[in-house]
Amino acid sequence: MTHPIQLHGQSFQMHFSGALFWIEKSLLLISDVHLGKVSHFRKYGAAVPQAAVQKNFEMMDTSVDFFKPKTIVFMGDLFHSSLNNEWVLFEEWVRSKSVEIILVRGNHDIISPLKYEGLGVKVIQELILDSFLLTHHPEERDGLFNFSGHIHPAIRLSGLGRQSVRFPCFYKTDNQMILPAFGNFTGSHTLEPCTGCEVFAVLVDAVVPVPIKEVKKKRFNQK
Amino acid sequence: MTTREELFNIAENWFQEQEWKPFKFQKDTWKAFLQGKNGLLNAPTGSGKTYALWFPIVLNYIKKNPNYKTKHTKGLKAIWITPLRALSQEIKLSAERVTVDLGTQMTVGIRSGDTTTNERSQQKKQMPDLLITTPESLQLLLATKGYDKIFKDCSAIVVDEWHEILGTKRGVQMELALSRIKTISKELRIWGISATIGNLEQARDVLLGQESGALKNSVLIKANINKKITVKSIIPKKMEAFPWRGHLGLHLLEEVIPIINNSKTTLLFTNTRSQCEIWFQKILEKHPEYAGEMAMHHGSINKETRVWVENAIRNEKLKAVVCTSSLDLGVDFAPVETVIQIGGPKGVARFLQRAGRSGHRPGKESVIYFLPTHAIELIEASALQKAVKQNTVEDRLPYLNSYDVLLQYLTTLAISDGFYPNEIYQEIKQTFCYQTLTENRWQWLLNFLVMGSQSLQSYDEYKKVEVEDDGKFIVNNRGVAMRHRFQIGTIVGDVNLAVKYQKGGYIGSIEEFFISKLNRGDVFTFAGRNLEFIRIKEMTVQVKNSIKKTNKISSWMGSRLTLSAQMSELLRNELYSSSEPKENQSIEIRSLAPLFERQRRESMVPKPSEFLIETFKTRDGYHHIFYPFEGRFVHEAMGSLLGYRISLLSPITFSLAFNDYGFELLSDQAIDIQQVLDNNLFSTEYLLDDLQKSLNSTEMARRKFRDVAIISGMVFTGYPKKGIKMKHLQSSSQLLFDVFRDYEPDNLLFQQAFTETFEHQLETGRLRLSLERIATQEMVWKECEKATPFSFPLITDRMSREKLSSEKLADRIKKMAALLMKK
Repeated sequence: MTHPIQLHGQSFQMHFSGALFWIEKSLLLISDVHLGKVSHFRKYGAAVPQAAVQKNFEMMDTSVDFFKPKTIVFMGDLFHSSLNNEWVLFEEWVRSKSVEIILVRGNHDIISPLKYEGLGVKVIQELILDSFLLTHHPEERDGLFNFSGHIHPAIRLSGLGRQSVRFPCFYKTDNQMILPAFGNFTGSHTLEPCTGCEVFAVLVDAVVPVPIKEVKKKRFNQK
Repeated sequence: MTTREELFNIAENWFQEQEWKPFKFQKDTWKAFLQGKNGLLNAPTGSGKTYALWFPIVLNYIKKNPNYKTKHTKGLKAIWITPLRALSQEIKLSAERVTVDLGTQMTVGIRSGDTTTNERSQQKKQMPDLLITTPESLQLLLATKGYDKIFKDCSAIVVDEWHEILGTKRGVQMELALSRIKTISKELRIWGISATIGNLEQARDVLLGQESGALKNSVLIKANINKKITVKSIIPKKMEAFPWRGHLGLHLLEEVIPIINNSKTTLLFTNTRSQCEIWFQKILEKHPEYAGEMAMHHGSINKETRVWVENAIRNEKLKAVVCTSSLDLGVDFAPVETVIQIGGPKGVARFLQRAGRSGHRPGKESVIYFLPTHAIELIEASALQKAVKQNTVEDRLPYLNSYDVLLQYLTTLAISDGFYPNEIYQEIKQTFCYQTLTENRWQWLLNFLVMGSQSLQSYDEYKKVEVEDDGKFIVNNRGVAMRHRFQIGTIVGDVNLAVKYQKGGYIGSIEEFFISKLNRGDVFTFAGRNLEFIRIKEMTVQVKNSIKKTNKISSWMGSRLTLSAQMSELLRNELYSSSEPKENQSIEIRSLAPLFERQRRESMVPKPSEFLIETFKTRDGYHHIFYPFEGRFVHEAMGSLLGYRISLLSPITFSLAFNDYGFELLSDQAIDIQQVLDNNLFSTEYLLDDLQKSLNSTEMARRKFRDVAIISGMVFTGYPKKGIKMKHLQSSSQLLFDVFRDYEPDNLLFQQAFTETFEHQLETGRLRLSLERIATQEMVWKECEKATPFSFPLITDRMSREKLSSEKLADRIKKMAALLMKK
């Protein structure tokens, strides 16, 4: 279900939903949910199955019920576009939770902060907690470890017999960790592994560290 | 009223003035048309087919307007549909020749993607008498308010190159447009023009509608022009040095030089646009003396350049033109004396058509050279020779129940004048494609249009088509209408980006997948130029000229082609002939002796009674190769089927590769072939069921779904040429596929992806026949030391592989790793 990781002396749990839990602070980080995307498409005449709307809320419930956090920080792109009826579902969801909710604003978050504040959700540009910097876009700042989203990272694994598979992932470098996209209708972007980075693949029900193998360059068969 | 004789005299006089004589098929067509009949004309390009139909159209006007020389009766009289807009200019010229020479005041116009907005609105006010257009632009006319007035007095629709359109979704689009216009215009005649294909009768059924009155009142006219075609294979001088794999054929580059030099103009046909770019580049590199005398022609090069090339061919300014299928159709190029086909054409009809580009005058001989790109293709060359001799031509398989095209069409009607379901249902039931569409399915489609699902959901804001009080289905939302107009069409490719100089100047278009691999400053070859990539800005690739050398050559994915059943059989027979005495062999087979010898040493060459299976290990893993020699699509089906059945025996993961000769199952573990044979895994029992299940574990249906999603309007592609982005509405069809699989697997559009994979990709019918044939053969399993000549093209295929697995993901990734490239 989860995989632990230590960062700057603090303990974290990576969850198969794509959420990251900070144990000492009881803080749950969720990035790129893109709520309202299905409804947005439908509103514009693209008949994405409506049943897919519920899935994001169910997954949010699953991760919140599992960690029982004091605070939830949405790391941006909480809503895909302008206001639509999924907002009503979100309102219901927020009211059903007695936790502090913060939104670090992402490029997709164009719904007025006043709407969020009316729900008791605080909207901010970034958040610094101890030596951690929480932003939507990945950033580098001296002395701070950065958590971000935006990229929707994925990793490709290869094996003998020309096998390859691709998974969404948590992507960690020395001073950064990029969270996978939490939403179920969001897509992902494949990143190459880099020297010194750590990658954790998000499977259907588990988070698994990915072995990284250094190879000279792509092999080509010759006769 | 002018009598038919008088009308015929007008036409024959015109022919006399040109010092020509009308062919029988031309006169037959005039007569049938003037009798009010519909029909299909089977005539090759360059035979005078345009005059077979333009004449009766104009004569019919003369008949109805006796004082046609002084008075002009305005309004659309006839529509000429061409699959390639590049051909419209040529068709317009031939039409104008008739209208002007006969002294009518009829006007001829073109309406296609290249037509300016200004011209379009002019046409809207006053349609030309004769309109030349494409299937897509015809749909766009149906999306115009008051379209019934446009078509009211239309007397004819001619669908040119119907064989090219027939087996595609554009064909379905034509069927639908015709079903509508038939109702509107009372005196409509429908005519198709088709090159020779295996199923000409069916081609007529599809064009006119299976159960329709139009079909009953129709004729099939054959031109019967026998053209002598000579096929010559280019055989490598040293077979030992000729490669076993590859698709470029550059090894034989020097062999084409004397051919080019000995001929007025030579067309070199390549199978892909990237191959075309490479050949052009390489010939110029090795033979700079051709500079200025050689050109390139393919579908992604801008229109001006293409037109320039076409004119230069006509004016005998060019020695050689490297081209793709973009020069397959239409356009009369008299100076072309020789045609070279580089690589397997994968179809006899296409090969014949290309051969016909040379000696493009009645009575002249056509010469075509076949240049193999690797050794085994020589077997194909030999088979082609036989096919040409026996005139073995493939069928073009029409689509059935394409819900995606129907939904697009219904939306089109809804954005113009709206439609009443009962009326439209009666019309489409008459088409070939939808003859079996049940009322239940029809209702499903209507629900989908209005609600985006089958029942009204709370909180749902789906918006597309609305139903008015009197039952009319209509689109009132301007945004929906605008987006739909952008999307009309059924040719689905990757997202295309316009390539332009930074300072402006359109060079052509390129698929996003190629550009996405480039970084700023990278140099690539496109349209024969070396270009430096600067950036992508609003669906435009900005570039500048570069003098740097590069090996990055623009490429396009395009569609894969396969051998037909008839060609596959010829191919097998050629292969078997390698075991016969030399005098029974073709020159191609004889030249392959060293390869066959090596194959015999490493493995064996199967006889007609044998089915060969080879296994060996390389550092890529365990290779298992099967050789049915049935053509790529059958191999895709058989490979998936067999892979699936083997995966039931124990957890295993495969990477599959296919070509026209066989298929490979590659794995990280060895399969016990004896177990495959003992368990009778080639059985036809539970065939469809197993195939369906294997589809769920491969990506094939997923790829088909992409087209379906775009055509039915569920995925927006934006509108690259106009630079209009709809990024907030773009999603990958992959994602959409997953969502449908998880939440609406019974959706007809989702199901359609599977049906199409069965019928059009996998050719299930042929698969069964192949399995039955294999059942009569003896299985021969060869455990080889290393890769064999036959296996080589398969095991080195890195691009188009399929995956299949019955292992748990968690188990699989234990054996895998992310690869970090060392610089």
